[in-house]
Amino acid sequence: MAENGGGRADLALSWRLARRELRGGLKGFRIFVGCLLLGVAAIAGVGSLSEAMLAGLRSDARALLGGEVEVRLIHRDATAEERAWIEANSARASRTAELRAMLRPAGEAASAERMLVELKAVDTAYPLYGAVETEPRGDLQELLDEKDGLWGALVDESVLSRMEAAPGDRVRLGDLTYEIRGTVVGEPDRATRAFTLGPRVMVSRASLDETGLVQPGSLIYHHYRVDLPPNADFGRWRAQINEAFPDAGWRVRGLDNAAPGIQRLVDRVGLFMTLVGLTALLVGGVGVANAVRSYLDEKRPVIATLKCLGAPARLVFQVYLLQVLTLAGFGILGGLALGAVTPTLAGPLLAEQLNFRIAGGVYPAPLILAAAFGLLTTLAFTLWPLARAQTIPAAALFRDVVERASSRLPFWAWMAIGGSIAALAALAVLSADDRVFALGFVGGAVATLALFRLAAAGIEKLAARLPRPRLPGLRLALANLHRPGAATGSVVTSLGLGLTVLVAIALIRGNLDRQVMQTMPEDAPGFYFIDIQPQQVEPFLELVRGHPGVEEVRSVPMLRGRITKVNGTRPEDMTIPEDVAWVFRGDRGLTWTRAAPDGTEITRGQWWPQDYGGEVQLVSLDAEVGRALGLKVGDSLTVNVLGRELTAEIANFRRIEWQDLTINFVMVFSPGLLQQAPQTHLATVKMDPAEELALQQKVTEAFPNVSAIRVKEALERFAGILQNITVAVTATAGVTLIAGILVLAGAVAAGHHRRIYDAVVLKVLGATRRNVGRAFLLEYGLMGLITAAIAAGAGTLAAWVVLTQVMQAEFAFLPLHVTATALVAAALTLAFGFFGTWQALAEKAAPHLRNE
Amino acid sequence: MSREDHAMIRLDKVDLTLPSQAGLVEILRGVSLDIAAGETVSVVGPSGSGKSSMMMLIAGLERATDGRIEIDGTDITDMGEDWLARFRRDRIGIVFQDFHLIPTMTALENVAIPMEFAGRADAFGRAEEVLDSVGLRARTTHYPGQLSGGEQQRVALARAFAMAPRLLLADEPTGNLDGETGNQVIDIMFDLQERHGTTLMLITHDTGLAARCRRSIKLLDGRIVDDGRRSEADSRPRPAAAS
Repeated sequence: MAENGGGRADLALSWRLARRELRGGLKGFRIFVGCLLLGVAAIAGVGSLSEAMLAGLRSDARALLGGEVEVRLIHRDATAEERAWIEANSARASRTAELRAMLRPAGEAASAERMLVELKAVDTAYPLYGAVETEPRGDLQELLDEKDGLWGALVDESVLSRMEAAPGDRVRLGDLTYEIRGTVVGEPDRATRAFTLGPRVMVSRASLDETGLVQPGSLIYHHYRVDLPPNADFGRWRAQINEAFPDAGWRVRGLDNAAPGIQRLVDRVGLFMTLVGLTALLVGGVGVANAVRSYLDEKRPVIATLKCLGAPARLVFQVYLLQVLTLAGFGILGGLALGAVTPTLAGPLLAEQLNFRIAGGVYPAPLILAAAFGLLTTLAFTLWPLARAQTIPAAALFRDVVERASSRLPFWAWMAIGGSIAALAALAVLSADDRVFALGFVGGAVATLALFRLAAAGIEKLAARLPRPRLPGLRLALANLHRPGAATGSVVTSLGLGLTVLVAIALIRGNLDRQVMQTMPEDAPGFYFIDIQPQQVEPFLELVRGHPGVEEVRSVPMLRGRITKVNGTRPEDMTIPEDVAWVFRGDRGLTWTRAAPDGTEITRGQWWPQDYGGEVQLVSLDAEVGRALGLKVGDSLTVNVLGRELTAEIANFRRIEWQDLTINFVMVFSPGLLQQAPQTHLATVKMDPAEELALQQKVTEAFPNVSAIRVKEALERFAGILQNITVAVTATAGVTLIAGILVLAGAVAAGHHRRIYDAVVLKVLGATRRNVGRAFLLEYGLMGLITAAIAAGAGTLAAWVVLTQVMQAEFAFLPLHVTATALVAAALTLAFGFFGTWQALAEKAAPHLRNE
Repeated sequence: MSREDHAMIRLDKVDLTLPSQAGLVEILRGVSLDIAAGETVSVVGPSGSGKSSMMMLIAGLERATDGRIEIDGTDITDMGEDWLARFRRDRIGIVFQDFHLIPTMTALENVAIPMEFAGRADAFGRAEEVLDSVGLRARTTHYPGQLSGGEQQRVALARAFAMAPRLLLADEPTGNLDGETGNQVIDIMFDLQERHGTTLMLITHDTGLAARCRRSIKLLDGRIVDDGRRSEADSRPRPAAAS
């Protein structure tokens, strides 16, 4: 027979034999299937949901962007010439402005609360796509138009409740009084801003100039949304507008980049959750390996018999590989089915939170990826026991587990195991957008897995070597930890990995919460006041200093600018490390000063003299940014401020503590050209919290164009967003723990017979159920505690890496978070381990002792 | 009433019915039996006649469907599981065909364990003595897997006698041993029994072994069909079995 035909015939025979053996059904493989199902479902679900969100962003791109192209300017509006160009080169166009402003009640209620609001001024063409939903329903323009000398305003529902106002009431924005005509329920382009500082207020663009809020240098976003003329192409359009106005300093976005912030968030959170899902799959892999190992242990007589009857090793391997793959197929398909329906089930819920549509449906790409992860995990974790099974000699048929010699695996088996592990790692890294992060994660996961394997081996060795305690319960517990076939390895590994992830997330979350909320009272100012005009600075400072309870007030000029060149090279032509990419993402706040601010820590270079008036503009740069970009003193930075390019020489690098929330800028310039540029001032005020509201009222009354941001409120909003993300991440991490518990249950089930035997013999010898139960409790308690202790260490290390290396945040060890997680875990181990062994205690002795 | 005034084992119309896949199976039917303290009794009968089940009932490892069981003057019929465990610990030693040693414990630990359960401070000292008495002083630190079948059964015997039980139950103790090793084990068992004055109930297929007991009970289909006593001379060890 030809070799090929032989191979096929072998395969057919293997499949026939495998099918016969599979007649027994899924018995003993429920954990196997469950582990794969859970891991694959997590990956497929997260992937599908991310895809659905991105698809939603794409399909609603016009509405989200507000047109086919968006041109955005900060601080300055487009010139007449620029506006004319835009109008001439578009099918239709809409013009809006967004800024932060203080909303005050008008007239008699003048003493009532002021609110910082996100103001949006829209023209008659707005929105080009989608519709603004209002209550009462009506034509947007009619609701906003001037009637009887009063312009209309639509406000968020929360404004009405906080100001105890109702439609028909009057409010003031800057110098202008508006009539509340209703509430804004939905805005087509709202979702593109992930973080807002206040509720929405919408007014007519035509009314904005009368408010006096539009001042030179005020932080105002001017948006021009455009529909391209027929047959026009976005790329060419962008090139043309930039060519016509090379120094405009605007950002021009097309449909492919409608909501970059959300897209980045979805990508990031999606990647993280996929990797956590992969951890769940890895944990499940331990369960998969256990199930296959104990199944093959049971099949020893069958394998030996097959060999006695003439089956070659390869056939044996094929028979069991086919069985494993068939069973894995069930788990993977089940996981894919769950993952595929995730967007349909979870989409509507999430859409409500995120303010944009999530396109339901089935997304093949993430499903294929999840299936590949499932298959590779199966192979990586089962090839070892499978390859070992084929080495079982027929003669070893009746040897006891204790006497089993470890037979050497053939070379090809090593290659296959190594290959599948490498393929799994490669898939994880290559399928991620941020490969460095994915590689770090995979490395970390493998290292942690190895750590727990080693720890388990260490525990077994230690338990075997410890002097044998006189207490029989403790002795039995110790013996159970190291005896042949002990569950220690699988329990410690599976539970440990899941726990490590949970401890890490608990610590990261705790640290972020702490940094956001707890560090605030000591260091953080109570207020930021923005958009103070230069001529208002002196009276403003006077007013604030005269207010009771004010401890410190600082004011600095503030402009916004975008880095356009570093040493003459444009950012798009540079390799920028991910941790400082934010510096180049759009406009950054910047300032100028003569003297170094208090507490400045210069790491390299020197501060300029107080009276510096040199030709060369100097700049002081964040040391972290300088380090990441490899910059040195004397290098040059070019910044576009309000459409003008400004090149400065780096004079020094400063260490910046962003966490203390005082005024800080990546770039601080020497006086010079910037002094003349239109600018506003930013002030921080540290004060007695009880006086905050009164000061806010006084300032906004005296300076209607100045907005007050209460740091506490802003942080609470930020913490809210953080909370939502961490809930999602913790939920995914929970899947890892569930996988761990499944594996634990499997390991307990595998040792069940042995445990029943122990319990029965001990009971025959006079042990009460309490005696036996205590021994089991001790065993699982020891395992749980040791695992929790190691997981606490590994999780802390992981959290430290993520916080300090990835998130550039401070790390603090939070013993309560770690201990609580670890103790809950130890309790869980105890509960599940004991639940499994309780049955053993209740088992009747007689049937296990009969000879016949 | 002194201990010697009552029977060591008293079964009164004991029934045992167990469920099986084919339905309920009557294992024992109306078995009544009195065995005095210090007696040596063999229980013989074909496989499935109910010998082991009767022993399980006497050891409190199985519950009678009907009838009453009294051991050493105590009615154990309705006692709870943990009470029975303590009762066994203090009064009954059991030896199995399959030894049933705990594989993760050394010979010494296996023997000490019932005494440890009883909270005896001298558990290990006493275990060493008993192991010595079965000729295994040199094997105290060995695990069951490192011992021969005969040695394992001697450990099991030492364990059974460690608490100086009033009653020893032995279920085919030589079933898994070759002839000579079996004889050695049996000699040790009878020797210990005689020294402690223990009541012995021995289940066996071996008529020669059965004959070493003073009394032989034959079971068939769950009923006692023969209950014969021998004279002391009859039950002396045969020359072939002598050590």
